[in-house]
Amino acid sequence: MKEQLTAALAAEEAAIYAYGLIGVHLTKEREVKGARDSEQVHRQRRDYLVDRIAELKASAAPAPAGYALPFEVTDRASALKLAVHIEDGVAQAWRAVLPVTEQSQRNAALSAMTDSAVRATAWRKYSGTTPLTMAFPGRPG
Amino acid sequence: MVLTGPVRMSDSVHTRRRILTATGAIVAAATLAGCGLFDDEPEPEPAPDPLQPILDEALAMAAAYDLAIQAQATLAEQLTPLAEDHRAHAAALATLIGTVLPSGAAAPVASAAPPAGSADETLAQLRKSEQDAQTTAIAACLAAPADRAALVGSIAACRATHASALR
Repeated sequence: MKEQLTAALAAEEAAIYAYGLIGVHLTKEREVKGARDSEQVHRQRRDYLVDRIAELKASAAPAPAGYALPFEVTDRASALKLAVHIEDGVAQAWRAVLPVTEQSQRNAALSAMTDSAVRATAWRKYSGTTPLTMAFPGRPG
Repeated sequence: MVLTGPVRMSDSVHTRRRILTATGAIVAAATLAGCGLFDDEPEPEPAPDPLQPILDEALAMAAAYDLAIQAQATLAEQLTPLAEDHRAHAAALATLIGTVLPSGAAAPVASAAPPAGSADETLAQLRKSEQDAQTTAIAACLAAPADRAALVGSIAACRATHASALR
């Protein structure tokens, strides 16, 4: 379980970092607010994961100071695209937690994965990307 | 005396034939039983797979989208991808369960009437259905064994994104 939780933590750290960049390139109020709210949610998840990992008496690798972005973020379009990419990645990380957890912890993982999938849908809508949804959110590939 | 006579006189061929006949009778009885002639107590139907309701729900949702598109062609572009997601869920669940989807999975459409209200009302109803379907999928994910949790979790999350996309 530690491996999956650590991977989810890395995804959440990357999301927090990315939303800092994304927010800079957004101006529409609903999008700026969306980025701010998303960052806040990912911070809460990061804290949750740090606690879970501590319970396992495992040490999480320290978060790197920066992240390699999949593409350059220079404007609104690339910022929205990164937001979709980030949420898809977070959903994938949480999906891997489902099989290794039960009950309340699996519920937490499913909530996190669902939240990211819904956020990705919203960002696709803002950016005019279709289709808005994918059949199996979080499934790699 | 009469009964013992043949035994004493019998050669090995005779004896073998009797054995073969007896064996044949047993085989025949077993075969007949297999045909159901002796089915006093039929085998109970195997319990449906716990994910069968999720599969049925996926097909019902796909059919509901088909009906909505029939009633309001302008919704086709928005709703067709969502219907396809549900069909993909049904197919994946059928593979996992080891069942076969009913031929012409859109069959329920024939017996149902297209929604009568406005496009907005239709979308609101679909949104409500997606939320209900998400709730059942969440419960199924939490109850699922480890090897099924990820697939059912994705289905639950997808249903949530549909409700969001219909807003």
